[in-house]
Amino acid sequence: MERYKDIIPNFEAFKAVLHRPLFDCCRINTLKIERAKLLERLDEKGVGWRIFDWYPFGLKLDVQSPGKLLESLLGYIHIQEELSMVPPLLLDPRPGEVVLDLCASPGSKTTQISQMMNNKGLIIANEPSLSRVTPLRSNCERLGVLNVAITRYDGRNFPRGSFDRVLVDAPCSSEGRERRGPGVLSRSNRKRSLDLQKLQIGLLKSATRLAKPKGVVIYSTCTYAPEENELVVEKVLDDARLERISISGLKECPGITEWNGETMKGDLSKCARYYPHINDTGGFFVAKLIKN
Amino acid sequence: MSPSLSRIRNVFEPMNSSEVAGLWQSRFGIPEKAFAGYRFFRKAQSVWMISASELPNLSYEALGMRIMNLKDRPWKPTTCALQILGKHATKNLVHLNETQATTFLEGKSLPVDTNLEPGYVVVLYREEVLGCGLYSRGIVVSQLPKERRMTSCS
Repeated sequence: MERYKDIIPNFEAFKAVLHRPLFDCCRINTLKIERAKLLERLDEKGVGWRIFDWYPFGLKLDVQSPGKLLESLLGYIHIQEELSMVPPLLLDPRPGEVVLDLCASPGSKTTQISQMMNNKGLIIANEPSLSRVTPLRSNCERLGVLNVAITRYDGRNFPRGSFDRVLVDAPCSSEGRERRGPGVLSRSNRKRSLDLQKLQIGLLKSATRLAKPKGVVIYSTCTYAPEENELVVEKVLDDARLERISISGLKECPGITEWNGETMKGDLSKCARYYPHINDTGGFFVAKLIKN
Repeated sequence: MSPSLSRIRNVFEPMNSSEVAGLWQSRFGIPEKAFAGYRFFRKAQSVWMISASELPNLSYEALGMRIMNLKDRPWKPTTCALQILGKHATKNLVHLNETQATTFLEGKSLPVDTNLEPGYVVVLYREEVLGCGLYSRGIVVSQLPKERRMTSCS
Protein backbone atom coordinates (compact mmCIF):
# COMPACT_ATOMS: atom_id res chain seq x y z
CA MET A 1 0.00 0.00 0.00
CA GLU A 2 2.90 2.36 0.82
CA ARG A 3 3.87 2.30 -2.85
CA TYR A 4 0.85 4.52 -3.52
CA LYS A 5 2.03 7.23 -1.08
CA ASP A 6 3.02 9.59 -3.88
CA ILE A 7 -0.02 9.12 -6.12
CA ILE A 8 -2.91 9.16 -3.64
CA PRO A 9 -3.62 12.71 -2.39
CA ASN A 10 -3.78 13.19 1.39
CA PHE A 11 -2.45 9.68 2.01
CA GLU A 12 -2.98 9.76 5.79
CA ALA A 13 -6.70 10.55 5.36
CA PHE A 14 -6.86 7.72 2.80
CA LYS A 15 -5.40 5.23 5.27
CA ALA A 16 -7.67 6.42 8.06
CA VAL A 17 -10.91 6.01 6.11
CA LEU A 18 -10.14 2.38 5.18
CA HIS A 19 -11.14 1.27 8.68
CA ARG A 20 -14.61 2.76 8.34
CA PRO A 21 -17.15 0.37 6.77
CA LEU A 22 -19.22 1.51 3.81
CA PHE A 23 -22.94 2.18 3.65
CA ASP A 24 -24.97 -0.45 1.83
CA CYS A 25 -26.08 0.94 -1.51
CA CYS A 26 -28.69 -0.06 -4.04
CA ARG A 27 -29.94 0.92 -7.47
CA ILE A 28 -33.63 1.46 -8.14
CA ASN A 29 -34.61 -0.90 -10.97
CA THR A 30 -36.90 1.19 -13.16
CA LEU A 31 -37.58 -1.86 -15.37
CA LYS A 32 -39.90 -3.03 -12.57
CA ILE A 33 -40.92 -0.03 -10.49
CA GLU A 34 -41.13 3.74 -10.71
CA ARG A 35 -38.61 5.62 -8.62
CA ALA A 36 -41.20 7.58 -6.63
CA LYS A 37 -43.17 4.43 -5.83
CA LEU A 38 -40.07 2.63 -4.57
CA LEU A 39 -39.09 5.53 -2.32
CA GLU A 40 -42.64 5.56 -0.93
CA ARG A 41 -42.39 1.85 -0.13
CA LEU A 42 -39.11 2.32 1.72
CA ASP A 43 -40.64 5.16 3.73
CA GLU A 44 -43.66 3.00 4.56
CA LYS A 45 -41.28 0.34 5.93
CA GLY A 46 -39.16 2.83 7.84
CA VAL A 47 -36.05 2.03 5.78
CA GLY A 48 -33.69 5.03 5.80
CA TRP A 49 -32.33 6.13 2.42
CA ARG A 50 -30.34 8.92 0.84
CA ILE A 51 -30.06 9.53 -2.90
CA PHE A 52 -26.52 9.85 -4.31
CA ASP A 53 -25.45 13.39 -5.12
CA TRP A 54 -24.51 12.30 -8.63
CA TYR A 55 -27.07 9.66 -9.72
CA PRO A 56 -30.82 9.80 -9.10
CA PHE A 57 -31.28 6.00 -9.15
CA GLY A 58 -28.56 5.24 -6.58
CA LEU A 59 -29.42 5.09 -2.87
CA LYS A 60 -27.49 4.71 0.36
CA LEU A 61 -29.56 2.49 2.63
CA ASP A 62 -29.76 2.44 6.40
CA VAL A 63 -31.06 -1.08 7.11
CA GLN A 64 -29.77 -4.50 8.19
CA SER A 65 -29.37 -7.07 5.35
CA PRO A 66 -30.85 -4.99 2.51
CA GLY A 67 -30.63 -8.03 0.21
CA LYS A 68 -33.42 -9.64 2.26
CA LEU A 69 -35.87 -6.79 1.71
CA LEU A 70 -38.96 -7.82 -0.23
CA GLU A 71 -38.13 -5.01 -2.66
CA SER A 72 -34.85 -6.77 -3.39
CA LEU A 73 -36.41 -10.25 -3.76
CA LEU A 74 -39.01 -8.88 -6.17
CA GLY A 75 -36.33 -7.10 -8.19
CA TYR A 76 -37.39 -3.53 -7.44
CA ILE A 77 -33.91 -2.74 -6.16
CA HIS A 78 -30.48 -4.23 -6.75
CA ILE A 79 -27.79 -4.13 -4.07
CA GLN A 80 -24.80 -2.56 -5.81
CA GLU A 81 -21.69 -0.61 -4.76
CA GLU A 82 -21.97 3.12 -5.33
CA LEU A 83 -19.03 3.42 -7.75
CA SER A 84 -20.07 0.29 -9.63
CA MET A 85 -22.84 2.47 -11.08
CA VAL A 86 -20.27 4.78 -12.72
CA PRO A 87 -19.18 2.71 -15.77
CA PRO A 88 -22.71 2.24 -17.23
CA LEU A 89 -23.36 5.96 -16.78
CA LEU A 90 -20.22 6.77 -18.78
CA LEU A 91 -21.00 4.07 -21.33
CA ASP A 92 -24.25 6.01 -21.89
CA PRO A 93 -26.12 3.31 -23.86
CA ARG A 94 -29.26 4.22 -25.83
CA PRO A 95 -32.38 2.09 -26.42
CA GLY A 96 -31.98 0.05 -29.60
CA GLU A 97 -28.18 -0.09 -29.60
CA VAL A 98 -26.03 -3.21 -29.55
CA VAL A 99 -23.76 -3.31 -26.49
CA LEU A 100 -21.09 -5.79 -25.36
CA ASP A 101 -20.36 -6.34 -21.67
CA LEU A 102 -17.18 -8.36 -21.92
CA CYS A 103 -16.77 -9.38 -18.22
CA ALA A 104 -20.39 -9.40 -17.12
CA SER A 105 -20.95 -11.52 -13.99
CA PRO A 106 -22.62 -10.98 -11.53
CA GLY A 107 -24.46 -8.55 -13.79
CA SER A 108 -24.87 -5.39 -11.68
CA LYS A 109 -23.61 -3.27 -14.55
CA THR A 110 -25.27 -5.44 -17.22
CA THR A 111 -28.68 -4.94 -15.63
CA GLN A 112 -28.05 -1.21 -15.13
CA ILE A 113 -27.22 -0.93 -18.84
CA SER A 114 -30.46 -2.80 -19.63
CA GLN A 115 -32.39 -0.35 -17.47
CA MET A 116 -30.77 2.60 -19.27
CA MET A 117 -31.80 1.02 -22.60
CA ASN A 118 -35.31 0.47 -21.29
CA ASN A 119 -35.07 -3.23 -22.22
CA LYS A 120 -34.72 -2.29 -25.93
CA GLY A 121 -31.85 -3.25 -28.22
CA LEU A 122 -29.36 -5.94 -27.29
CA ILE A 123 -26.69 -6.49 -24.66
CA ILE A 124 -24.30 -9.38 -25.12
CA ALA A 125 -23.22 -10.30 -21.60
CA ASN A 126 -20.08 -12.39 -21.81
CA GLU A 127 -18.85 -14.52 -18.93
CA PRO A 128 -16.46 -17.43 -19.55
CA SER A 129 -16.95 -19.19 -16.22
CA LEU A 130 -20.01 -21.45 -16.02
CA SER A 131 -20.29 -21.05 -12.25
CA ARG A 132 -20.35 -17.27 -12.65
CA VAL A 133 -23.08 -17.47 -15.30
CA THR A 134 -25.51 -18.63 -12.58
CA PRO A 135 -25.57 -15.36 -10.59
CA LEU A 136 -25.54 -13.36 -13.83
CA ARG A 137 -28.65 -15.17 -15.09
CA SER A 138 -30.34 -15.03 -11.74
CA ASN A 139 -29.85 -11.25 -11.44
CA CYS A 140 -31.09 -10.65 -14.99
CA GLU A 141 -34.21 -12.72 -14.31
CA ARG A 142 -34.98 -11.18 -10.92
CA LEU A 143 -34.62 -7.68 -12.35
CA GLY A 144 -36.91 -8.39 -15.31
CA VAL A 145 -34.22 -7.96 -17.97
CA LEU A 146 -35.32 -9.02 -21.46
CA ASN A 147 -32.63 -7.68 -23.76
CA VAL A 148 -29.60 -9.63 -22.55
CA ALA A 149 -28.08 -12.65 -24.29
CA ILE A 150 -25.32 -14.49 -22.46
CA THR A 151 -22.20 -15.91 -24.14
CA ARG A 152 -19.25 -17.80 -22.66
CA TYR A 153 -16.20 -16.86 -24.69
CA ASP A 154 -12.72 -16.06 -23.43
CA GLY A 155 -13.09 -12.28 -23.66
CA ARG A 156 -9.63 -11.97 -25.28
CA ASN A 157 -10.80 -14.11 -28.20
CA PHE A 158 -14.43 -13.01 -28.49
CA PRO A 159 -15.07 -14.06 -32.08
CA ARG A 160 -16.81 -11.21 -33.86
CA GLY A 161 -19.12 -8.24 -33.71
CA SER A 162 -19.46 -4.53 -34.37
CA PHE A 163 -20.76 -2.96 -31.18
CA ASP A 164 -21.99 0.57 -30.51
CA ARG A 165 -20.53 0.38 -27.01
CA VAL A 166 -18.28 -2.05 -25.14
CA LEU A 167 -17.72 -2.30 -21.39
CA VAL A 168 -14.61 -3.96 -19.95
CA ASP A 169 -15.06 -4.15 -16.19
CA ALA A 170 -11.88 -6.14 -15.86
CA PRO A 171 -10.88 -8.78 -13.32
CA CYS A 172 -8.49 -6.94 -10.98
CA SER A 173 -6.74 -7.05 -7.61
CA SER A 174 -9.77 -5.29 -6.05
CA GLU A 175 -7.75 -2.99 -3.77
CA GLY A 176 -10.65 -0.53 -3.83
CA ARG A 177 -12.79 -3.05 -1.93
CA GLU A 178 -10.71 -2.76 1.26
CA ARG A 179 -13.62 -1.18 3.16
CA ARG A 180 -15.78 -4.25 2.35
CA GLY A 181 -13.19 -6.95 2.93
CA PRO A 182 -10.21 -5.75 5.00
CA GLY A 183 -6.89 -7.31 4.04
CA VAL A 184 -7.15 -6.97 0.24
CA LEU A 185 -4.63 -4.12 0.19
CA SER A 186 -2.09 -5.88 2.38
CA ARG A 187 -2.20 -9.01 0.17
CA SER A 188 -1.83 -6.98 -3.01
CA ASN A 189 1.54 -6.56 -4.70
CA ARG A 190 3.16 -5.45 -7.94
CA LYS A 191 3.83 -8.96 -9.19
CA ARG A 192 0.17 -9.96 -8.90
CA SER A 193 -0.84 -6.76 -10.68
CA LEU A 194 1.58 -7.50 -13.52
CA ASP A 195 0.08 -10.98 -13.91
CA LEU A 196 -3.42 -9.49 -14.13
CA GLN A 197 -2.17 -6.81 -16.52
CA LYS A 198 -1.56 -9.40 -19.27
CA LEU A 199 -5.19 -10.49 -19.10
CA GLN A 200 -6.46 -6.90 -18.83
CA ILE A 201 -4.52 -5.76 -21.89
CA GLY A 202 -5.85 -8.75 -23.84
CA LEU A 203 -9.41 -7.89 -22.83
CA LEU A 204 -9.13 -4.17 -23.63
CA LYS A 205 -7.49 -4.84 -27.01
CA SER A 206 -10.29 -7.27 -27.82
CA ALA A 207 -12.92 -4.69 -26.77
CA THR A 208 -11.34 -2.02 -28.95
CA ARG A 209 -11.29 -4.43 -31.90
CA LEU A 210 -15.00 -5.26 -31.39
CA ALA A 211 -16.23 -1.64 -31.15
CA LYS A 212 -17.53 0.17 -34.23
CA PRO A 213 -15.49 3.11 -35.52
CA LYS A 214 -16.39 6.03 -33.19
CA GLY A 215 -17.81 3.47 -30.76
CA VAL A 216 -17.37 3.92 -27.01
CA VAL A 217 -15.17 1.62 -24.93
CA ILE A 218 -15.22 1.90 -21.14
CA TYR A 219 -12.42 0.27 -19.14
CA SER A 220 -12.88 0.02 -15.37
CA THR A 221 -11.35 -1.68 -12.34
CA CYS A 222 -11.82 -1.40 -8.58
CA THR A 223 -8.11 -1.12 -7.90
CA TYR A 224 -5.41 1.55 -7.49
CA ALA A 225 -2.43 -0.20 -9.13
CA PRO A 226 -1.29 1.82 -12.17
CA GLU A 227 -0.08 -1.49 -13.67
CA GLU A 228 -3.76 -2.53 -13.95
CA ASN A 229 -5.08 0.89 -14.96
CA GLU A 230 -3.22 3.60 -16.90
CA LEU A 231 -0.54 1.14 -18.05
CA VAL A 232 -3.29 -1.04 -19.57
CA VAL A 233 -5.16 1.84 -21.21
CA GLU A 234 -1.89 3.14 -22.69
CA LYS A 235 -1.67 -0.01 -24.82
CA VAL A 236 -4.70 0.88 -26.97
CA LEU A 237 -4.07 4.60 -27.50
CA ASP A 238 -3.02 4.00 -31.11
CA ASP A 239 -6.52 2.72 -31.89
CA ALA A 240 -8.67 4.96 -29.68
CA ARG A 241 -8.59 8.36 -28.01
CA LEU A 242 -9.37 9.17 -24.38
CA GLU A 243 -12.25 11.41 -23.41
CA ARG A 244 -12.03 13.37 -20.15
CA ILE A 245 -14.35 12.13 -17.40
CA SER A 246 -16.36 14.45 -15.22
CA ILE A 247 -19.53 13.54 -13.30
CA SER A 248 -21.34 16.33 -11.55
CA GLY A 249 -21.54 15.60 -7.80
CA LEU A 250 -18.71 13.03 -7.74
CA LYS A 251 -15.07 14.19 -7.31
CA GLU A 252 -12.52 12.38 -9.46
CA CYS A 253 -8.73 12.65 -9.44
CA PRO A 254 -6.90 12.65 -12.79
CA GLY A 255 -5.21 9.53 -14.12
CA ILE A 256 -1.49 9.44 -13.37
CA THR A 257 1.15 10.06 -16.05
CA GLU A 258 4.27 9.15 -14.09
CA TRP A 259 4.99 5.91 -12.29
CA ASN A 260 8.16 4.26 -10.98
CA GLY A 261 10.20 7.10 -12.50
CA GLU A 262 8.75 6.58 -15.97
CA THR A 263 6.63 9.06 -17.87
CA MET A 264 3.51 7.89 -19.70
CA LYS A 265 1.36 9.58 -22.34
CA GLY A 266 -0.07 12.85 -21.04
CA ASP A 267 -3.55 12.01 -22.28
CA LEU A 268 -3.84 9.41 -19.53
CA SER A 269 -4.68 12.21 -17.11
CA LYS A 270 -8.15 12.12 -18.74
CA CYS A 271 -8.84 8.82 -16.92
CA ALA A 272 -10.61 9.11 -13.56
CA ARG A 273 -9.44 7.79 -10.19
CA TYR A 274 -11.91 7.70 -7.31
CA TYR A 275 -10.58 7.47 -3.77
CA PRO A 276 -12.48 6.38 -0.64
CA HIS A 277 -11.57 9.43 1.48
CA ILE A 278 -12.75 11.92 -1.14
CA ASN A 279 -16.34 10.81 -1.80
CA ASP A 280 -16.73 8.39 1.16
CA THR A 281 -16.94 5.40 -1.22
CA GLY A 282 -14.76 2.47 -2.23
CA GLY A 283 -11.89 2.94 -4.70
CA PHE A 284 -12.30 2.86 -8.48
CA PHE A 285 -10.64 3.56 -11.83
CA VAL A 286 -12.33 4.25 -15.13
CA ALA A 287 -11.30 5.32 -18.64
CA LYS A 288 -13.54 6.36 -21.51
CA LEU A 289 -12.19 5.63 -25.00
CA ILE A 290 -13.55 6.52 -28.42
CA LYS A 291 -12.40 4.17 -31.15
CA ASN A 292 -10.77 5.85 -34.17
CA MET B 1 -30.70 -41.16 -27.01
CA SER B 2 -27.10 -41.00 -28.19
CA PRO B 3 -24.91 -38.21 -26.83
CA SER B 4 -24.54 -36.63 -30.25
CA LEU B 5 -28.33 -36.46 -30.71
CA SER B 6 -28.85 -34.84 -27.32
CA ARG B 7 -26.26 -32.24 -28.23
CA ILE B 8 -28.14 -31.42 -31.41
CA ARG B 9 -31.31 -30.91 -29.40
CA ASN B 10 -29.47 -28.67 -26.96
CA VAL B 11 -29.62 -25.60 -29.22
CA PHE B 12 -31.93 -22.60 -29.35
CA GLU B 13 -34.62 -23.18 -31.97
CA PRO B 14 -36.85 -20.26 -32.96
CA MET B 15 -40.50 -20.62 -31.88
CA ASN B 16 -43.59 -19.03 -33.26
CA SER B 17 -44.83 -16.19 -31.05
CA SER B 18 -48.49 -17.14 -31.42
CA GLU B 19 -47.73 -20.70 -30.33
CA VAL B 20 -46.30 -19.35 -27.05
CA ALA B 21 -48.99 -16.69 -26.63
CA GLY B 22 -51.71 -19.31 -27.16
CA LEU B 23 -50.56 -21.32 -24.14
CA TRP B 24 -50.49 -18.25 -21.87
CA GLN B 25 -53.82 -17.06 -23.19
CA SER B 26 -55.55 -20.34 -22.51
CA ARG B 27 -54.22 -20.71 -18.95
CA PHE B 28 -54.06 -17.08 -17.77
CA GLY B 29 -56.16 -15.13 -20.28
CA ILE B 30 -53.15 -12.99 -21.22
CA PRO B 31 -53.85 -11.26 -24.55
CA GLU B 32 -51.59 -12.02 -27.50
CA LYS B 33 -50.51 -8.39 -27.76
CA ALA B 34 -48.56 -8.77 -24.48
CA PHE B 35 -46.16 -10.92 -26.52
CA ALA B 36 -45.65 -8.45 -29.36
CA GLY B 37 -42.10 -7.20 -29.90
CA TYR B 38 -40.44 -10.31 -28.50
CA ARG B 39 -38.76 -13.31 -30.06
CA PHE B 40 -39.10 -16.83 -28.66
CA PHE B 41 -36.71 -19.76 -28.63
CA ARG B 42 -36.89 -23.30 -27.38
CA LYS B 43 -33.90 -25.12 -25.94
CA ALA B 44 -34.57 -28.66 -24.72
CA GLN B 45 -37.77 -28.23 -22.62
CA SER B 46 -37.34 -24.51 -21.88
CA VAL B 47 -38.84 -21.54 -23.71
CA TRP B 48 -36.93 -18.24 -23.77
CA MET B 49 -38.13 -14.71 -24.55
CA ILE B 50 -35.92 -11.84 -25.73
CA SER B 51 -36.73 -8.32 -26.92
CA ALA B 52 -33.90 -8.03 -29.44
CA SER B 53 -34.90 -8.05 -33.10
CA GLU B 54 -31.55 -9.24 -34.45
CA LEU B 55 -29.04 -11.59 -32.89
CA PRO B 56 -25.41 -11.71 -34.04
CA ASN B 57 -24.12 -15.09 -35.09
CA LEU B 58 -22.65 -16.27 -31.77
CA SER B 59 -22.88 -19.31 -29.54
CA TYR B 60 -25.34 -18.46 -26.75
CA GLU B 61 -25.71 -19.69 -23.19
CA ALA B 62 -28.96 -17.80 -22.57
CA LEU B 63 -31.31 -15.72 -24.74
CA GLY B 64 -33.25 -13.23 -22.65
CA MET B 65 -35.46 -14.75 -19.97
CA ARG B 66 -36.49 -18.36 -19.45
CA ILE B 67 -40.29 -18.02 -19.28
CA MET B 68 -41.65 -21.56 -19.19
CA ASN B 69 -40.81 -25.20 -18.85
CA LEU B 70 -42.60 -27.70 -21.12
CA LYS B 71 -41.21 -30.82 -19.46
CA ASP B 72 -44.29 -31.72 -17.43
CA ARG B 73 -48.05 -31.47 -18.03
CA PRO B 74 -49.25 -28.84 -17.46
CA TRP B 75 -46.39 -26.61 -18.58
CA LYS B 76 -44.89 -24.45 -15.82
CA PRO B 77 -44.38 -20.68 -15.99
CA THR B 78 -41.27 -19.26 -14.31
CA THR B 79 -41.68 -16.82 -11.43
CA CYS B 80 -39.66 -14.13 -13.22
CA ALA B 81 -41.90 -14.38 -16.31
CA LEU B 82 -45.08 -14.21 -14.23
CA GLN B 83 -43.76 -11.06 -12.54
CA ILE B 84 -43.71 -9.44 -15.98
CA LEU B 85 -46.56 -11.10 -17.88
CA GLY B 86 -48.80 -11.81 -14.87
CA LYS B 87 -50.06 -8.24 -14.70
CA HIS B 88 -51.94 -8.93 -17.96
CA ALA B 89 -53.57 -12.09 -16.59
CA THR B 90 -57.35 -12.27 -16.28
CA LYS B 91 -57.85 -15.76 -14.90
CA ASN B 92 -56.32 -18.26 -12.49
CA LEU B 93 -55.26 -15.43 -10.20
CA VAL B 94 -55.02 -15.69 -6.42
CA HIS B 95 -55.14 -12.50 -4.36
CA LEU B 96 -53.60 -12.91 -0.92
CA ASN B 97 -53.97 -10.89 2.28
CA GLU B 98 -50.89 -9.78 4.21
CA THR B 99 -50.62 -12.88 6.41
CA GLN B 100 -51.08 -15.20 3.44
CA ALA B 101 -48.56 -13.24 1.38
CA THR B 102 -45.95 -13.68 4.12
CA THR B 103 -46.58 -17.44 4.16
CA PHE B 104 -46.31 -17.58 0.37
CA LEU B 105 -43.08 -15.55 0.35
CA GLU B 106 -41.60 -17.95 2.89
CA GLY B 107 -42.12 -20.72 0.35
CA LYS B 108 -44.88 -22.51 2.27
CA SER B 109 -48.28 -23.88 1.27
CA LEU B 110 -51.49 -22.12 2.25
CA PRO B 111 -55.21 -22.86 2.12
CA VAL B 112 -57.25 -20.50 -0.05
CA ASP B 113 -61.00 -20.20 -0.39
CA THR B 114 -61.47 -19.96 -4.13
CA ASN B 115 -62.78 -21.73 -7.20
CA LEU B 116 -59.87 -22.22 -9.58
CA GLU B 117 -58.94 -24.77 -12.19
CA PRO B 118 -56.19 -26.94 -10.68
CA GLY B 119 -52.73 -26.01 -11.97
CA TYR B 120 -50.35 -23.06 -11.91
CA VAL B 121 -51.70 -19.71 -10.75
CA VAL B 122 -50.58 -16.08 -10.61
CA VAL B 123 -50.17 -15.08 -6.96
CA LEU B 124 -50.75 -11.40 -6.12
CA TYR B 125 -50.67 -9.18 -3.07
CA ARG B 126 -51.90 -5.57 -3.26
CA GLU B 127 -52.15 -5.83 -7.08
CA GLU B 128 -48.46 -6.84 -7.35
CA VAL B 129 -47.42 -10.20 -8.75
CA LEU B 130 -45.41 -12.12 -6.14
CA GLY B 131 -44.87 -15.19 -8.28
CA CYS B 132 -46.10 -18.62 -9.23
CA GLY B 133 -48.21 -20.99 -7.13
CA LEU B 134 -49.51 -24.50 -7.75
CA TYR B 135 -53.20 -24.79 -6.88
CA SER B 136 -55.04 -27.98 -6.14
CA ARG B 137 -57.94 -28.90 -3.79
CA GLY B 138 -58.02 -25.60 -1.91
CA ILE B 139 -54.24 -25.39 -1.35
CA VAL B 140 -51.73 -23.09 -3.05
CA VAL B 141 -48.16 -24.41 -2.95
CA SER B 142 -45.54 -21.66 -3.31
CA GLN B 143 -43.28 -22.20 -6.33
CA LEU B 144 -40.88 -19.39 -5.43
CA PRO B 145 -37.26 -20.36 -6.09
CA LYS B 146 -35.36 -20.83 -2.82
CA GLU B 147 -33.18 -17.77 -3.34
CA ARG B 148 -36.26 -15.55 -3.78
CA ARG B 149 -37.90 -16.52 -0.49
CA MET B 150 -38.13 -14.49 2.68
CA THR B 151 -36.58 -16.17 5.71
CA SER B 152 -39.20 -16.83 8.39
CA CYS B 153 -37.30 -15.06 11.18
CA SER B 154 -37.18 -11.68 9.41
